[in-house]
Amino acid sequence: MASGTNLSESLNPATSSEAVKRAELSEIDASTKIPALFFLCSALGWILIGTIFALIASFKMHTPGFLGDAEWLTFGRVRTAHLNAVIYGWASNASFLVIIWLMARLSRSLLRHPILLLTAGVFWNVGVTIGIYGILTGDSTSIEWLEIPPYATPLLFVAYALMGVWAVIMFRFGKSPHIYVSQWYILAALFWFPWIYSVAQIMTIWAPARGTVQALVNWWFAHNVLGLWFTPIGLASVYYFLPKVLGKPIHSYYLSVLGFWSLAIFYNWAGVHHLVGGPVPAWVQTAGIAASIMMLIPVVVTGINHHMTMIGSFNALRYSPTLRFIVFGAVNYTLVSVIGSFMSLRGWAEITHFTQHTIAHAHHGLYAFFTMVMFGAIYYILPRLLLKEWPSAALISVHFWATAVGSLIMVLVLTVGGFHQGLLLNTPKLANTLGLQPGTDPVPFLEVVRVMNKYLVSRSLSGILIFVGHLAFAVNVVWMLLKPRSAEVTAPTLFRNPPEMEVVTR
Amino acid sequence: MKTPDPREHNTRIEQAGASDESIQDVHAILAREKPEPHEGYSPMPLFVLGFVSAIIFIGAIYIVRHRAGFDPLAYDERYDPSMAATNAAPVKVDPIAEGKKLFMTCAACHQPTGQGVPGVFPPLVKSEWVNGSEDRVIRILLNGLSGPVKVEGNTYNNAMPAFGPGGYGWSDEKISYILTYVRQEWGNTGAPITPEKVAEIRKAVGQRKPWAAEELEAIK
Amino acid sequence: MNRAPLLFLGAFFAVAFSWTGIILSNQIAYGKLTPVIDQSDNKAYPLPISGQAQQGKLVYQDLGCMYCHTQQVRRPGYGADDLRGWGDRQSVARDYIREQRVLLGTMRTGPDLRNIGARQTSTEWHYLHLYDPQLTSAGSNMPPFAFLFEKRKIVGEPSPKALRLPPAYAPEAGWEIVPTERAESLVTYLLSLKDTYTYPDEARRVYVAPAANPEGKK
Repeated sequence: MASGTNLSESLNPATSSEAVKRAELSEIDASTKIPALFFLCSALGWILIGTIFALIASFKMHTPGFLGDAEWLTFGRVRTAHLNAVIYGWASNASFLVIIWLMARLSRSLLRHPILLLTAGVFWNVGVTIGIYGILTGDSTSIEWLEIPPYATPLLFVAYALMGVWAVIMFRFGKSPHIYVSQWYILAALFWFPWIYSVAQIMTIWAPARGTVQALVNWWFAHNVLGLWFTPIGLASVYYFLPKVLGKPIHSYYLSVLGFWSLAIFYNWAGVHHLVGGPVPAWVQTAGIAASIMMLIPVVVTGINHHMTMIGSFNALRYSPTLRFIVFGAVNYTLVSVIGSFMSLRGWAEITHFTQHTIAHAHHGLYAFFTMVMFGAIYYILPRLLLKEWPSAALISVHFWATAVGSLIMVLVLTVGGFHQGLLLNTPKLANTLGLQPGTDPVPFLEVVRVMNKYLVSRSLSGILIFVGHLAFAVNVVWMLLKPRSAEVTAPTLFRNPPEMEVVTR
Repeated sequence: MKTPDPREHNTRIEQAGASDESIQDVHAILAREKPEPHEGYSPMPLFVLGFVSAIIFIGAIYIVRHRAGFDPLAYDERYDPSMAATNAAPVKVDPIAEGKKLFMTCAACHQPTGQGVPGVFPPLVKSEWVNGSEDRVIRILLNGLSGPVKVEGNTYNNAMPAFGPGGYGWSDEKISYILTYVRQEWGNTGAPITPEKVAEIRKAVGQRKPWAAEELEAIK
Repeated sequence: MNRAPLLFLGAFFAVAFSWTGIILSNQIAYGKLTPVIDQSDNKAYPLPISGQAQQGKLVYQDLGCMYCHTQQVRRPGYGADDLRGWGDRQSVARDYIREQRVLLGTMRTGPDLRNIGARQTSTEWHYLHLYDPQLTSAGSNMPPFAFLFEKRKIVGEPSPKALRLPPAYAPEAGWEIVPTERAESLVTYLLSLKDTYTYPDEARRVYVAPAANPEGKK
């Protein structure tokens, strides 16, 4: 870090190393503009489509006759379309955007071979589009998280391979002598995802493994999509934007290292907890549960690292949209992971496995953590790509509150609802003790369905709230793209004007 | 820490000989940015080391306790290969309780309340068929019933599957449990049915097509 | 951490380790599983899956049935699967070895279907339930699958397959509702789902609680 006491700098500000760095960064940002905007627009389109699918699926759960005559919108298909649109459409495109921008900045290198990235982006989005069309028309493979029919997956694989090649080139020609922690996560994620994706494709679809080994492959993959792809990208963003916005170093390099390697070692064993009680060996389930317990290590370590960085700067949350989204995501990362460790335990899973509890957890991780971090990142990146300010602070505020409140309501309602559902479905004894059902019999299934209705309706309402947030976001982005660049020196769009927020340079 | 005017920075960047227009565009947005992030080197707190060791210890104990002999065919984590699987003592069966469990199958059509579905599936509650002759109701269970049947004054026209030979293949015991349950639940007043009685009728009729109501009405 | 090769090597070994432990080791163990021949009826269990049931499974997959219905029974005592009559024993890996695609499922918005073919053998019931679940299970939140059925004019004799619907649901006179080929194969598939045979090897590996000691002695 250039300190203000540098003699030559004080004599001649023009040669200030900080100023040269800024000039360099601006060139780097400019070089990422076209591919980054491409991925941003794709991600934005997919999150709107994915949310609409989600709302349809959610209404169907409490009003089964809703759009009941449209075969292509039957629950089993529209739910799948929702999952794939948000995972492979929104979340992956947003990840690519963040990867491109962060890799270029952290390698301190102008973006090379943008054509490689654009080709990858076209392949990826065409692949996802064909895949979702295939799902809606009845070609789903019915393997969770791998539903995209086999004729579309090679496109995704090619896209990913191009992206990986690009990242290696960028890294190879990078000027930075030091690999910053965000880069560890990004490089590892870019290396892991194509690997687990191709192994999972081969072992479930092209040359299926024997019997329930397929289920093991399935959950090894599906859990790792979160663990080895989205979590690293999310954490890379937190590790970058938290110190960046605050202008402070990350608390401890040692904690970063411990957090990274314990995540790499334990996360990929944890997927088996989706099969607790199922037809897979008891010892593998045990290993999966043990790994889920071990996940407390990276989570707590990373949490401490972020918290210690944040400490003393909580006031900044009142001004900076980026920081608010990122901190919301980081806090939820800790929460969702700790809850996840407990959910894997056999006693807990006996009740909550096969219920809405799992759905709550999935949205907690992918929405309240990952998606919110991506929003935060986009609020920081876009002004630097377009050299314009966000047009409306009010819309950012609507976006934040609608998505934050919406996602928390959804998670809360489904966590409680899933627990209720599990008690009624699985443990007549416990349900009796709590006075939910007299006698020693399981509650009739249709009674469970009836009880769940109120939770499912509340979930739909929270979904509508989230959709409103997404609309506010979309309007803001489109407005920003279309509005002319100001010739004046502009001030950042913040929630409220800080005393000296973000204007401070050093 | 000073708080310089951002415009001052702007000028400095321009003075740096940056003729490229894109650099000149770097007004406040870039200038106001904080420096690129880097790591601090605060030492790891001691309790983190303790925490990590404790978690690893717990994980290891969990694996050792629930390893189930690392046997791929063991699905119960409590299984221990050294513990010879000795058969538990035979349990005395309560026909009503067993029948109630088996009734899950019947409840799909006759509903958990035994009320049936009006016009589709006949009720069991107060039904003259259920509470009446043992010989008839056992035959219905064993071989099924098809075609129009009058129950409590309403006519139903549907098919009930066979639970005996050629159908579900239930044992005499299972059939006696379910019938005893159905005949004594919801205020029904039929007498219990023994497995022996079921065996007797099974032997007499064997495997055949589902009964029609008239055929059964001929039997007392 | 400034050495990229080290980073990649570590990342590689971390995932290779879990792949070996979770997938490879079990592919080896379960690759050896064979069907078991039942001496009493001389059939090899699990039973082979018929062609029509296989077709029906594709319908099951394309409609996404598995997002609400599991196909795995948990052991008696863990959950209430046995009390609900979903199966007497734990589902084991051998039950699935003949299946091209295993659809265990992770969600029980609806009941488990692993033994639906033994629990509900009535074809008629399945058709009615698929046509509109409210017919057989009032209050269910399962969507109707009326698009698997065809409404057609009765020409000559009514079809023996036509659904016998209660008046509120019945089509106007002269018309009938018949299942399409997809509905027929789907029901055939559902009826084929039953794990009725208990494999001796797996049965030996269950946990037996230590017998209670009535004398209270060691």
